[in-house]
Amino acid sequence: MRKNSIPRIILTVVLFVMSLFFLFPVIWMLANSFKMDAAITADMNSLRAFVPPALNGSFFENYVTVIKDTDFIRYMLNTLFYAAILIVAGVIVNGLAGYALAKIKFPFRERWVLIIMMLMIVPSETIITINFLFVAKMGLLNTVFGYILPMIVNPFNIFLFRQVFVSLPDDVWEAAQLDYCSPVKYFFTMVLPMSKTVVATVSVFTFLGVWNDYLWPSLVFTSSDLLTAQIGLNSITSNDNTTMGQTLAVITMITIPVIIIYALFSKQIVEGVVSTGSKEG
Amino acid sequence: MSFIEFKNIEKQYPGADKKSVTDFNLEINEGEFIAFVGPSGCGKSTTLRMIAGFEDITGGELYIDGKKVNDVLPRDRGIAMVFQNYALYPHMTVEKNISYGLKNMKVPADEIKRKTDWAINILGLEEYRNRKPKNLSGGQRQRVALGRAIVKNQKVFLMDEPLSNLDAKLRVSMRNEISKLHRELGSTTIYVTHDQVEAMTMADRIVIMRNGVIQQVGKPMELYEHPANKFVAGFIGSPQMNFYNVTLNGDKVQFEGGETLTVPASILTKLNGKEGEMIMGIRGEDIKLDPQTISIYEADKKSAVVENAEVMGNENNLYFTFGGSQTIARVSKYEISGIGDKIDFVFNPSRVHFFDKNTEVCYV
Amino acid sequence: MGMAFFGPALVLLTLFLFLPMLLTVIFSFTDFFALNPDLTHFVGLKNYSDIFKDELFTTAFFNTVKFVLIIVPAQTLGALGLALLINKATVCKKYFKVAFFIPVVMSLAVVSNLWMQIYSPEGILNTMLAQIGIEAQPFIYSAEQALPSIAIMSVWQGVGYQMIIFLGGLQAINPALYEAAEMDHASAWQQFKDITLPELKSLCVFVFITVTIGAFRMIVQPMVMTGGGPSHSTYTLVYDIYETGTVNWEIGLASAMAVIFVIFVIILTIIQSVLTKDKEAKSNAKK
Repeated sequence: MRKNSIPRIILTVVLFVMSLFFLFPVIWMLANSFKMDAAITADMNSLRAFVPPALNGSFFENYVTVIKDTDFIRYMLNTLFYAAILIVAGVIVNGLAGYALAKIKFPFRERWVLIIMMLMIVPSETIITINFLFVAKMGLLNTVFGYILPMIVNPFNIFLFRQVFVSLPDDVWEAAQLDYCSPVKYFFTMVLPMSKTVVATVSVFTFLGVWNDYLWPSLVFTSSDLLTAQIGLNSITSNDNTTMGQTLAVITMITIPVIIIYALFSKQIVEGVVSTGSKEG
Repeated sequence: MSFIEFKNIEKQYPGADKKSVTDFNLEINEGEFIAFVGPSGCGKSTTLRMIAGFEDITGGELYIDGKKVNDVLPRDRGIAMVFQNYALYPHMTVEKNISYGLKNMKVPADEIKRKTDWAINILGLEEYRNRKPKNLSGGQRQRVALGRAIVKNQKVFLMDEPLSNLDAKLRVSMRNEISKLHRELGSTTIYVTHDQVEAMTMADRIVIMRNGVIQQVGKPMELYEHPANKFVAGFIGSPQMNFYNVTLNGDKVQFEGGETLTVPASILTKLNGKEGEMIMGIRGEDIKLDPQTISIYEADKKSAVVENAEVMGNENNLYFTFGGSQTIARVSKYEISGIGDKIDFVFNPSRVHFFDKNTEVCYV
Repeated sequence: MGMAFFGPALVLLTLFLFLPMLLTVIFSFTDFFALNPDLTHFVGLKNYSDIFKDELFTTAFFNTVKFVLIIVPAQTLGALGLALLINKATVCKKYFKVAFFIPVVMSLAVVSNLWMQIYSPEGILNTMLAQIGIEAQPFIYSAEQALPSIAIMSVWQGVGYQMIIFLGGLQAINPALYEAAEMDHASAWQQFKDITLPELKSLCVFVFITVTIGAFRMIVQPMVMTGGGPSHSTYTLVYDIYETGTVNWEIGLASAMAVIFVIFVIILTIIQSVLTKDKEAKSNAKK
């Protein structure tokens, strides 16, 4: 420790206390998702409100009830499935576009880059109604296809890919040409593996986007078979028979995957977040 | 017919008002090692990239092995290339980098294995076979790039400043390796460099370019002894040739400041009666400080004060001003002087060159 | 070849972005009613003049402005403050970054559901307030408190995102600047004022504008927690667009609202680029 170590200790303590206050809703959610409603109310007046109950037979009862009595696991699997499709399709479609905008000469290329940047500004809420009418007109309401199709292309991801691909060295593509590599093969076997970080970033953000999305799936899906976790959550919590503990169990379950993803890919997430800030500079 | 033939090749980038390469004519024989050399921006890399097919040829015709290749795809021109920054596939191992092209060419697996092993062996990459490029040194990466080129058995090798990213010592040893490889494989090689030492030491013939125009084509010693113009004379050789603005009258050269030099009959014959203002050039090693030579040309003995001395042991350069120009004399270790010392010296008059004052064309 | 690569994206962009945008503009001049599309007429600017006479829209607009006025300063300054503190921390830096970022990865619906429990009349928050002698508050169940309650929750969820952006900006500042300032006997405050703030200025503008746009887009939280109530006290602009379009099926009217909203967002973005450009021009002039 160098000079002024006492202020530094105070700073750490202050930050630590702040973080506890900041996280109290999450801690409370986690701790009480294992309690029956009576215990939740009883514990409310003491610090026990932030401590899980003793590990006994009913420890997981809220979770068991939710899993048994509702289709929530199914909703989560649905969402995983949609996310997987959208990650693959999104990386291919947006990646190819980003590569074209970065490296392939075609008419009005620079104009297109500008247009893509401008599209990033348009809030999706403003066109969601028209897209909904579209999908309804095409008879794709309550279909996986109708849900996924408008979500594949993403101007922000195209832009992110372009920014990374621009700095790929041209001579590698030239060398690959002499090695009888076609442009499509080059994209899949060279460009994507060389750009693992941005592929991971886009994939992670696509997953978080799909997993957490609310408005679009709530419009497209009305049939309970296809619901995503977020919409399923809504139908469960709005049911009067659902207890407080069960609600907390459901929202804990729905949060666990994103926390896992965050734990695994925090580097990519932070990079993606920071890149939104630095794109201006 | 020659193996590679350039007929009036030109390159003009869209929107540029000047041509990057102008009226490039050259014939290259099979198995030759040709160096394109010149300062940066002289068009040497552009020309190489036109041969490879990475730049469009905007004028003229290019033939490889008798076939016009202007509109042929790079991969179908029968070339292999080594890039300045190696251009290795970063996520592939050494072995995969080298065999990648063969795999795409649908070569049978056992042949791929045999050829890759041969290349890895010849380049001494055995122990790095499974490493990725980021875990290799510059020299090793260079070897992988070479391996990727030789394994495909192409007719022509193109090398674009392959040694420019290596340190001086490694450059010398890689120079020898590339020369050795060329002798073993005998493939036609075109080598682009800005370093005249590389060109001189490796090439069968050198093409010197400036501003997109060929200045001279010739064997290394031809260029050194008989430069076509002042640019070539100055570019080839280190230290640079010394140049003086002089006036020639009869057999007398007069320098700025009045000093004179008698030109021998052999030079005068070649000058063919040309007289008046011109540029005289002489190489550093033809400025002599040893008493024996001075005694021969006693009448034309000059003196000067040393302004700077680069002492390297085997090569020593003395800097001084003579005839209005900075002069560098290359002297042996017995003639080293300190800064401020007064020295006597003579020009070896049979080794002087004369250039036209305006066109800079070399007369002698 | 370029078009072959760009083509798939272009088709999807056209179908789901360009065309909807174009149609939104066109519909905004019609009385398109989704349940009876055959009776559509061109009505000129009627939708636009109707919007401003519409009391609900005016309410939604001012609610949104209130959200912006609470969220923007709280979230921007909070994120900057957190970033400055965490940047100075020597131990547990990683933990602090994670702790304040966790709500960001949680979904709007989850956070809304969680805070409904926390804000409930007999909930944990009121219990905690009772411990320090404050009487129970109605929070989202009163027209006065619902909006600030949702705004605070929104700041809680979002602040980590901008904190990470600021941390990235802070780490990008050349440490030699601070060392040079030390040599010049600059106090900690002077270093902050003369180095940190100027270096972060364009990032501050960026964060300010993105948080503003984000706050203007508020819809899911009131939708889940209060349904826009009580008595429309948390009804927002985007909520109004959404309900007008997908509940009432008045596409023409909803489109006009959307157009106004997009124009508003574009103006904010232009302001941002002007402010940051200005800064770049000045710093270039200094060089």
